[in-house]
Amino acid sequence: MITQDIRPILSALLRNRTGAVLVALQVAIALAVLVNAVYIVKQRVDKIGRPTGVDIGNIIVIDTIGFGAGYDHMATVRDDLGWLRSQPGVRAATVVSQIPLSGSGSSNRLFKTPEAKGEGVPMNYFLLDDSGVDALGVKLAAGRKFRQEEILPEDPTFNQPVPSMIVTRALAKSLFGTDNAIGKVAYDALGRPVTVTGVIEHMQGSWVDWDKLDHVGLLPRQPSGPNATYLVRTEAGRRNAISKLAEEHLSASNARRVVQHVRPLDYYRNRSYQSDRNIAIFLVAVTALLACVTALGIFALATFNVNVRTRQIGTRRAVGARKVDVVRYFMVENWLITTGGVLLGAALALGVGYSLSRAYELPRLDLYYLVGGVVALWALGQAAAWQPARRAARIAPSVATRTV
Amino acid sequence: MFGYYIKLAAHSLRRNPGITSLMVLAVALGIAVCVVTLTVHHGMSSNPLWWKNDRVYAVTLDSWDPEQPADDKHPDLPPPQLTWRDAEAVTASGIPQHAVRMFKGYGVISNDGDGGGVRPENSIVRVTSADFFDLFDVPFRYGGGWKAAADAAPEPVAVLSSETNERFFGGANSVGRTIRWNDRVYRIVGVLGEWHPAPTFYDLNNGAFQDPEAMYVPIGWAPSLELESAGNTNCWKPESIDSFAGFLASECIWIQVWVELPDAAARTRMQAWLDSYVAGERRSGRFQRPDNNRLTPIDEWLRINEVVRDDNRMLVALAFAFLAVCLINTVGLLLAKFLGRAAITGVRRALGASRRQVFLQHLAEAGMIAAVGAVLGVALSALGLHALRVMYASPREGFTGLMHVNAWSLGVAVAIAVGAALAAGLYPAWRIGRIAPSVYLKSQ
Repeated sequence: MITQDIRPILSALLRNRTGAVLVALQVAIALAVLVNAVYIVKQRVDKIGRPTGVDIGNIIVIDTIGFGAGYDHMATVRDDLGWLRSQPGVRAATVVSQIPLSGSGSSNRLFKTPEAKGEGVPMNYFLLDDSGVDALGVKLAAGRKFRQEEILPEDPTFNQPVPSMIVTRALAKSLFGTDNAIGKVAYDALGRPVTVTGVIEHMQGSWVDWDKLDHVGLLPRQPSGPNATYLVRTEAGRRNAISKLAEEHLSASNARRVVQHVRPLDYYRNRSYQSDRNIAIFLVAVTALLACVTALGIFALATFNVNVRTRQIGTRRAVGARKVDVVRYFMVENWLITTGGVLLGAALALGVGYSLSRAYELPRLDLYYLVGGVVALWALGQAAAWQPARRAARIAPSVATRTV
Repeated sequence: MFGYYIKLAAHSLRRNPGITSLMVLAVALGIAVCVVTLTVHHGMSSNPLWWKNDRVYAVTLDSWDPEQPADDKHPDLPPPQLTWRDAEAVTASGIPQHAVRMFKGYGVISNDGDGGGVRPENSIVRVTSADFFDLFDVPFRYGGGWKAAADAAPEPVAVLSSETNERFFGGANSVGRTIRWNDRVYRIVGVLGEWHPAPTFYDLNNGAFQDPEAMYVPIGWAPSLELESAGNTNCWKPESIDSFAGFLASECIWIQVWVELPDAAARTRMQAWLDSYVAGERRSGRFQRPDNNRLTPIDEWLRINEVVRDDNRMLVALAFAFLAVCLINTVGLLLAKFLGRAAITGVRRALGASRRQVFLQHLAEAGMIAAVGAVLGVALSALGLHALRVMYASPREGFTGLMHVNAWSLGVAVAIAVGAALAAGLYPAWRIGRIAPSVYLKSQ
């Protein structure tokens, strides 16, 4: 039945092909853009949604800096942490060298042997105190947290050795080939040993675009002044209230110190992903507009065709075609045009996907996306043609007998 | 004649308001999306010191690890910054007309008792040589920069940004007054005018769209006050550094160096000087990588530092794909419409209208659609850029500052509109012009 329909429709299309070719071209470009845009958006959404490993929703970051000869860094940090830890609703607070997920961080290389051979394994490290693990809310997989007596004093040269560290599973795997790393020893570039005393399940470090974002090490040392950055982990729902309280207290408690920012850790994560998020929004918006324009184009052209062919349709109806036959004629015609576009579009989509993967080091386009895109455009084409086809079916057979 | 064509076109467009508005909307959307992405792209890739592009160069030397390049992804590039000692040597070479070595410092700026009760604030401060202001053509509102002598034996002098001057002195002429940085007193010698280069090409280490520094102080303070960088410090060599002097002598890179070379001869001499300097250092065991001593003009510097991100290029490509769909759409609709009214055209032809006249009449219709579409498109792009500013609501003025409709955007809109009128109108107008009048006259 359908194949019987196709031949006359096809030959009619081929005789008057410009309009059909233009629609098919639109469909082709729309498919190429749609498939690749959805694929890229999916990657960005996945990237933003990766688990952070920390208690991201309940951590406050307080960023301060002291100035002038009268500023006593050690005493200020001790007083601040004492006050923060005594507040009801605060689960833990630590001073930290840099803010996770903020785009600002420190890294060095660790080696398996004291001779520091080869490239070593990069580690994004954070200096913090014995409350560090609790303040981050990271999950300890093995070993222990830092002890109070283990915390080393500040090191203005950034070059003193640290004897112990807590590492993520991922860093342990890269260093030792196993995440069962308690008691294992790695070496810094000067060959000084550092022993793993704890392994945490997972934690994201500073740079969200770094491929070793989870190569994180925690080191037991007081970060050096005059900056003091605190991570304060609160009980659920208390974050904003405690932020306000802390800003008021810390701003007033020491005239030699400036409180720069009191912000949720979420703020830094969102800022780091800002461009990924905005690219995704832009792609979705333009792709949606593109689908609308394409659908409207199909709709308008089908409407036009119906208007132009009013007399032919009337004639067909007069010689016995049912309404459903007329609807089917237009739907099949549309389907043929869309299919032509989709075939061209599939090639185009693969080409675009390939060049994107080459130029931007993206993984190659997943074929499921192409299949989904083809189905979506078929549906879009049929939906856009539906109303004009129905209108065509309502044309009365008597039209055929009228002259203009 | 032209006026008559316009009247005809307007008449024809009014006959199918639905299709007309669809075509106008398609052209407008296509133009808007292109103008938005191109405006941002253009702003990002523009050279804020374009008039000095053939005079001003970033200096880079490959002092990095003999075992591996500074950047795995771009192994051909030397590291983006210099060691303290190399920077000192290059700026002391005496060849450039102006030479600058600098880094970003940080610390608390507070008033020196005579500025009213302004809250102290941690700020980024550029620690730089005296030539900074002349080399980068930085505008002054009051006073000027400091003398080169103030770099060597550091004098407590400072230049304020106009924002800092606004904040601490209410915008008044503060030259001769004092301000505190990290609780030390500095005498103000100059206040900048409005200066917001975007991208901040002279220091791209922490992003290309940072706000300019709040204050500028002589580079000579770095050793005596042991100032650390608020930007990037990268070290490759296992060295036992236990003092600031040791850090200054180390292989760590953290200093940006720029030179102004007025002509090709100076450039050649500078290049020769760099090559011989590196050769000399190599003999003493440094610079074990192949020679890669570069003088990079600003345009090239922006490119190799990837200021325009791959994402931005992708969006421009997407915008043009979108425009293409919009135009194809318009071609299809125009063609259908013209052919739908072929009978009338047939009559016109029979009454003596030439092919050329019919062609121009129909092209006028496409032109009108493109013109209205362009006006609407510019309005839509203003809206789109506003939406982008909201999405990027960031304190970095430098970036959101790019997101405005400007003369350049308007030029792009006009160019696209003309292109659109031709692309969408030529073929349908040509097709309809070729109609043989007899066919249509018969069917009546």
